[in-house]
Amino acid sequence: MATDKSQIKIKFFTRDEDQEVHVNEAPLYVPVSLKRYGLSEIVNHLLGNDEKPVPFDFLIDGTLLRTPIEEYLVKNGLSSEAFLTLEYTRSVLPPSFLASY
Amino acid sequence: ESGLVEDAVAAPRAIEEARELWRASDLATLELTAGLCEQLRLILEPTLATKLKGDYKTGKRLNMKRIIPYIASEFRKDKIWLRRTKPSKRQYQIMIAVDDSKSMAESHSVELAFQSIALVSKALTQLESGGLSIVKFGETTQVVHPFDRPFTSETGARVFQWFDFLQTRTDVQRLVSQSIGLFETARATGDADLWQLQIIVSDGVCEDHATIQRLVRRAREDKIMLVFVVINGVNSSESILDMSQVSYVPDAAGNMVLKVDKYLDSFPFEFYVVVHDINELPEMLALILRQYFTELASA
Ligand SMILES: [Mg+2]
Repeated sequence: MATDKSQIKIKFFTRDEDQEVHVNEAPLYVPVSLKRYGLSEIVNHLLGNDEKPVPFDFLIDGTLLRTPIEEYLVKNGLSSEAFLTLEYTRSVLPPSFLASY
Repeated sequence: ESGLVEDAVAAPRAIEEARELWRASDLATLELTAGLCEQLRLILEPTLATKLKGDYKTGKRLNMKRIIPYIASEFRKDKIWLRRTKPSKRQYQIMIAVDDSKSMAESHSVELAFQSIALVSKALTQLESGGLSIVKFGETTQVVHPFDRPFTSETGARVFQWFDFLQTRTDVQRLVSQSIGLFETARATGDADLWQLQIIVSDGVCEDHATIQRLVRRAREDKIMLVFVVINGVNSSESILDMSQVSYVPDAAGNMVLKVDKYLDSFPFEFYVVVHDINELPEMLALILRQYFTELASA
């Protein structure tokens, strides 16, 4: 279905009470090959945290994203034509585990 | 594979439903059609008289090159006058290419897409500017109405039958390259002063801008004018105007570095407008076409 150049339209939101970690909800066009690490990098970039990034976890429809976006799409019968809303939360997982995905 | 959709293949939408959709879109654009037609007439038809042309027995100015032969022939070769002739009516082949991909439904642009097809096709039919064709694109590109057939309300309904906005890719690259082929074929049937124009109606979300840009340039070299109408039926916070493009570019050390730019900054079509409401379309389409023709005239 998707080639390595495939992209998808997404937007981020968070329920975090700290306004400092809120990005604006404008859509982003991102590669479907992105995983948690890449998404976390984008959120940090949008927050201006490139130097001291905070690790974030991502949820789609309440389910933790543990694979590249592309795999999520295939598993849920979606295509890169979808418009995904990704919720992010500060990661509670240990750093050693985070590095693996 | 870029040919007309097979009559034998069942269209995804029943004709009764398509007629109802056409009626609704026709109604929503009734008051806009005459205005758009007038604007297009002003832009598409040349109003300036052409250059002085010879050779006539009477006229506006003498053709100096004919004077000596005139005298030498003892005033028999008397077609020595130039005239300002009336501009010939330009012939156009205009193709409306409409995005049939799923993102159109996701971004609530379906109604606006149908209204745009109705409005533009009715205005062009009134204008009688030449051939009108409609194609749909997504994963593939298919002709749903060819240049050589007249366009009526029933045609409109039949065209609507082919749109279901379920295609799971938006291959704009393929659209542009196949359109170049379709225009080349169509040109063979037209006369010398034929102008070819494509109006793309889409939510504007597409991958690989660099490749598309090269194809757009090729189309331009082939004298095919491309204008892109980005339709955006959603509320302003989700508008394409605010969308960002995420990419990764190598730095000096060869490491891939994250880059976030405005999506429209790399948009591969030079002549595009963003339309949020059908009432904006006549003004916006006229604006972009006027820009195009102004640039052509100054080139
Ligand atoms: Mg699409």
